Amino acid sequence: MTSSSAETLSPSEFERLRQIIIKAADLLPSQGPITAYVFDNTLRALEDLPFHEALKRGGPLFGCEPYLSLARFQQEYERGRITDADLEAVVKEDLGENAQQNILGLCTRSELWLAMLKFPLRAASAAELRWFIAESDALKKFLPNAAPSLREAPLDRTRRWILQDVLPHWSETKSRDGRPPAPSRFSLFDDVFNGFDVGQIERWPDHVWTEFCLQTLWRVSHQIASTVPLAPVVGPPRRPRDILLELTNEDSDVLVSSVLVRLCAAFTDQGLAEWVLPHREEGLFAAFIKIYGLSGGPPAEWLRGLDKELDRIAEQRLGPLDSILESLQLLGVTEDDWTDFISTTLLALRGWAGLLWQNEVRSDRVPIPVPAGTLIEFMAVRLILDRFALESIARRHGVAKEIWQHGARPQVKPNHTEDRIEARTFLLFQVSQFMGWYPSVLFGLSAAQTSDLVRELETFSELERRRLFQIAFERNYRQRALNAFSVQTRQQAKRVEDVQFQAVFCIDAREESFRRHLEETNPRVETFAAPGFYCVPIYYRGVEDAHFSTLCPIVVRPQHWIIEEPLYSMTQVEGRRAATRKALGTAQHQVHVGSRSILKGALLSASIGVFASVPLVARVLFPRLTARIRRKAESLVKPLPVTRLRLERLDEKPSQTDSGFGFSLPEMINFGERVLRDIGLTQGFAPIVMFFGHGSACQNNPHKSAYDCGACTGMAGSPNARALAAMLNDPRVREALATRNIIIPATTYFLGGLHNTGDDTTTFYDLDLLPRAHRPMFEAAKDTLDQACERNAHERCRRFYSAPLNLTQSDALLHVEDRTEDLAQVRPEFGNSTNALCFVGRRSRVRGLFMDRRCFMHSYDPTTDDAEATILARILGPVVFVCAGINLQYMFSYIDSPGWGSGTKLPHNITSLLGVMDGAASDLRTGLPWQGVEIHEPVRLLFVIESTPEILEKIMNRNPVVGRLIRNEWVQLAILNPESNEILHYKNGKYEPYHPDVVDLPAVAKSSDWYHGCREHLGFATIRSS
Amino acid sequence: MDSIAPYLGTLVVAVPALLVLVVGAASLFGRPLPERKLTRCIQFAIVTGLLAALVMLALMLITGTRHVPIELGDWVSIPHYHFHIKFIFDRLSVPFVILTFLLCGTVGAFAANYMHREPGFTRFHISYAIFVLGMVTTSLAGTIETLFAGWEFVGLSSALLVAFFHERPAPVRNGLRVWAVYRVSDAALLLAAVVMHHLRGHGDFDQLLGNASWPEGVSHIESGATFVVGALLLLAAAGKSALVPFSSWLPRAMEGPTPSSAIFYGALSVHLGAFLLLRFSPLLDASPALRVAVIVIGLITAVFAAITARVQSDIKSALSYASLTQVGLIVMEIGLGLRYLALIHILGHGCVRTLQFLRAPALLQDYRTLENAIGKKLPSRSAGVREWAYRFALERGYLDILLDEYIARPVIWFFKKSDDLERRYVAWLRGSVAATTDKRDDASLED
Repeated sequence: MTSSSAETLSPSEFERLRQIIIKAADLLPSQGPITAYVFDNTLRALEDLPFHEALKRGGPLFGCEPYLSLARFQQEYERGRITDADLEAVVKEDLGENAQQNILGLCTRSELWLAMLKFPLRAASAAELRWFIAESDALKKFLPNAAPSLREAPLDRTRRWILQDVLPHWSETKSRDGRPPAPSRFSLFDDVFNGFDVGQIERWPDHVWTEFCLQTLWRVSHQIASTVPLAPVVGPPRRPRDILLELTNEDSDVLVSSVLVRLCAAFTDQGLAEWVLPHREEGLFAAFIKIYGLSGGPPAEWLRGLDKELDRIAEQRLGPLDSILESLQLLGVTEDDWTDFISTTLLALRGWAGLLWQNEVRSDRVPIPVPAGTLIEFMAVRLILDRFALESIARRHGVAKEIWQHGARPQVKPNHTEDRIEARTFLLFQVSQFMGWYPSVLFGLSAAQTSDLVRELETFSELERRRLFQIAFERNYRQRALNAFSVQTRQQAKRVEDVQFQAVFCIDAREESFRRHLEETNPRVETFAAPGFYCVPIYYRGVEDAHFSTLCPIVVRPQHWIIEEPLYSMTQVEGRRAATRKALGTAQHQVHVGSRSILKGALLSASIGVFASVPLVARVLFPRLTARIRRKAESLVKPLPVTRLRLERLDEKPSQTDSGFGFSLPEMINFGERVLRDIGLTQGFAPIVMFFGHGSACQNNPHKSAYDCGACTGMAGSPNARALAAMLNDPRVREALATRNIIIPATTYFLGGLHNTGDDTTTFYDLDLLPRAHRPMFEAAKDTLDQACERNAHERCRRFYSAPLNLTQSDALLHVEDRTEDLAQVRPEFGNSTNALCFVGRRSRVRGLFMDRRCFMHSYDPTTDDAEATILARILGPVVFVCAGINLQYMFSYIDSPGWGSGTKLPHNITSLLGVMDGAASDLRTGLPWQGVEIHEPVRLLFVIESTPEILEKIMNRNPVVGRLIRNEWVQLAILNPESNEILHYKNGKYEPYHPDVVDLPAVAKSSDWYHGCREHLGFATIRSS
Repeated sequence: MDSIAPYLGTLVVAVPALLVLVVGAASLFGRPLPERKLTRCIQFAIVTGLLAALVMLALMLITGTRHVPIELGDWVSIPHYHFHIKFIFDRLSVPFVILTFLLCGTVGAFAANYMHREPGFTRFHISYAIFVLGMVTTSLAGTIETLFAGWEFVGLSSALLVAFFHERPAPVRNGLRVWAVYRVSDAALLLAAVVMHHLRGHGDFDQLLGNASWPEGVSHIESGATFVVGALLLLAAAGKSALVPFSSWLPRAMEGPTPSSAIFYGALSVHLGAFLLLRFSPLLDASPALRVAVIVIGLITAVFAAITARVQSDIKSALSYASLTQVGLIVMEIGLGLRYLALIHILGHGCVRTLQFLRAPALLQDYRTLENAIGKKLPSRSAGVREWAYRFALERGYLDILLDEYIARPVIWFFKKSDDLERRYVAWLRGSVAATTDKRDDASLED
């Protein structure tokens, strides 16, 4: 390898290179440590573009599918999930004034598009196509889906055309004995005639005519296809690796990854491996040079000379950027190609590159972060390895430098003319059948007309058809949802009278059913919804926690630290328990580590090893029982159930010290006020008001935190709920709130709790402080909640194929408990998988509407808001961002699970304590696993907001994130008028009135009457009992 | 005892065979069993097999019998020469077969939930059934040819399970690699069998290794041949148990779904090499050189794996090298003649490792729980390791590359050259006229 110096480059060029790398980093997956799962739009980097344009760009850029496949959409069409009306509306809207444009006198454009959507057009590789034509009866029978009326007419017309116009010419040519026939304009069909018994032509039965007709059609199509010139196809930029892969069938990325993956894993490791990477603190580049620069390294052929090269780099004191520049020159990448080359190279190992970048920019999220500049160092290391791998492959296969050193030019694909003509022929052949175009008609087209026709067909490409299907798919659900809203919101908006208790849940779509069941069980319950961190962003450490966790959305950095501690009088008891826990934990850790070492491992496995079969068998075969026994045993050393949060701060300023924990009184007052105002609970307090955080218990699941509260960075939000309740119970806070016009009666008591969305249980905190007089009320409320839990579990079970449909309610509760304790369960729950809607408004407007756990909700009372909509603005900021993030991540992980998501979780392997790989060495897998998104329907989230267009416009102008997501249509928006039930649908920047096409919704007595016996997504219904 | 033992013994072997037949036939005729039925079948087979094995153990303990042969006839029988289907229940095979049923049963129950709704559910379970059959056959084999049959079942199903996710290239690549190493090991075992047959006309253990029940057998093979047979068996064992220099396939085998990594590589089939050595342990008594070789390979493997395990930053690789450490030790114990210890070590290690592998996806929660209990970041990370040692461990002892560069490459080179020579020779034979038609043959050959 020759050395070349980069001295000729000016500092500004270094800076430019650095900027290019940092810009390219935006494209990398934004997933940080998997223990604190953050939902984010997978295509966040392209959010500045309108949704469909971003997909068009993003698909090839990331090498992933932008939409579901045509075949999948066809299935949805066949089963009625997409209707003719949807397709017609969508085509009409998309074409606008061009819809009625006539195409060569054959049909209108919208007719053509509709046919191309409705009828399954096969597309296949050239080989598959040839097989299909040769072996199937494609040339013998009309396509099965073509309407019979479309078959008879062409048959008839063809018969007449052949007999009147074509046959005479053919007979003529035949009659000249022996001599080659003079070419006639019908000689195209000679072969076809030769295949049939023309003498009997007048006695041909229909099926022979069909065959004949189809063969002529194929001929004509083929002729048209071959006369219209093919446009060159430009693929995405190609790296040298792609060129060599095509030429030699050897993948340099496999070689590079074999070193790079281990190195990245070792570099980011948070404590899984016992040995720390030497020179880790000096950075990735230095560590790589020092470790692989020693002689006697891996004896692989492709790495020969790596030690010397690294020595040289060390000697010349090249920094990472110098090295990148040098590698770019050596790889023949010119400055013009830098941007494309660097982004495609970074994306080649996007999981690891993304993790390094996240650990660099959000160093607060991991205990052992990586130094600044790591991504650039990664690039430098990668390019050195790339050089070695590429040169080795090129050398071995004798590929000249000039061929593979192409920088990253967009690839102009070889035309494969024959294949493309075949494909085009087949397309025309099929469309003609669906449209009822006769061979004679096509045959009679002029050259200009044929070219128009082909262009017409090819403009409505597969991608375009999938795009329209996606819009139709979304439209179908949107119509149903808006119909349901317009019917349901006819009910008067009013607060619950004589209310027994009020319960506030997270905005989460899973709580939709819980709220509904609660209201169904007891109509005198009033529910609300707010983000699960209840606007109290904190760092929190529980009694038995070693570290603080961040309990707020990822975009917020908390200013306060809150700890949980044992009661003062119990400090000693708790101290003893903590000591026992520590001893047990240490022993367990010794066993854990020891089992992997030589001697301890031998002692352990040879002595008590066989006893491991007891927990093994018990946990696998009897998960629930084992869990109960384990919990019993653990309760002996667990912290005592009675603890307190340390809420009030001693110091002036918050800090992570003993006297810096907690809030000041004014802060508590503000936090208390914020949530109550946001959800519109400023009067009419019930005697008991509960705030529920939510979290999910499950076993053996690296993606567990994706089931926890999205508003708490993948943690359970119960400490926030508990803190809020405690603050609102503080008489000083109430006193201050009273001066701000929120008068909380002395008889009202706030409680914080946890809803476990895995096993559907509720837990409460600080119950010992509950006033004596409230106990009967609380017990009654608890009964109601328990019933709601059972019903909720029952509704959830309908989606689990391993739960029988005839499960009783109490069995359903056992079933979900089983799921959370089973080591082998890869679907403990489905998280927000079913999300499709988000309602921001008064609960009373949609109370009693069955929304099938598909609706996020934030309570908001427009009547309490000011003219500037201060409250709505501060609600929508995080809500649009977070809910769109959740929705889009589910959507992309579903559309292309191995591409955008992390594929099936069955081979996942935890690495570096930060993420998962497939098997022992792969790119880090980001996104949601297939088992977590399986039942998702990929539709963009539909926001229904109780407000007016003017207010929404103001908010979008003020908040660029909200504006971008809504205006670029990453989410859908509908506005529900707070006074009337009129709905406006936001489309292309305009608010159009929505006219519902139903007057009524199906009504049932209770939810189970509606969902009973169904596994699939369900429509809307009114539940009478709430 | 005598009346019931043959039936029980046959049942132990027949049940997994029947399972393969039922599950396999259903798919073969295009009617794969639905998940629930398939799971039932497996439960039934495993429980029956396990119970039969346990009753057998009880009978043997009560009556004090230490050696129960089950004869199922001959594959081939000519004078002075036969291939025998025979199974032995003794102090080696019975614990091993019970372990097999126990672990396979547990993992089967695990997989029934874990693989739920996976498109390859049936495919997984067919491989699983073949694996169980292979393990049971190998453990109970009374002749080397029976053992070989089981050995092959295990190899086939393992390779298929590594390549389970065949839509991605990496599993297929790694599956192929496992398969290649297994073939080397199989070839060695086959050669050993041929040599034995050549020497004695049969491969029956009780005649080769003496009538005394395990582990008291005495080698009846000529001392010169002992080393050859022993070395071949050691090679076979090394391939199957991933001993040095074959170790690098073990982490690669983690491509399959978690349950298959757990039983197959972590707990059962990785011990199969050690089991083979145990079965033939009388040979070790007869040849000190062999004994030394076994001890050395075991020791090197244990030390190598222990060092390598320290840098693995993903849980499945860490566990597989941890497994290998113990397997190395077990092999060493066998070399030292500590046969009972080795057996107990295998049993204990199998259980511990299966539990750890099955719980591998829970690592993050486990670490959190431990950290919470201890109250701080988990200790015991050692910095300051020498670069060369670290690189050696990170690159897994370069074993992968060494095999590639110094074994695979020369072998491929040799065969390519031979192929070249042959073509030229053929071309010469046909004369230059035929050379043009030959070109086409060439092309088709290379396809």
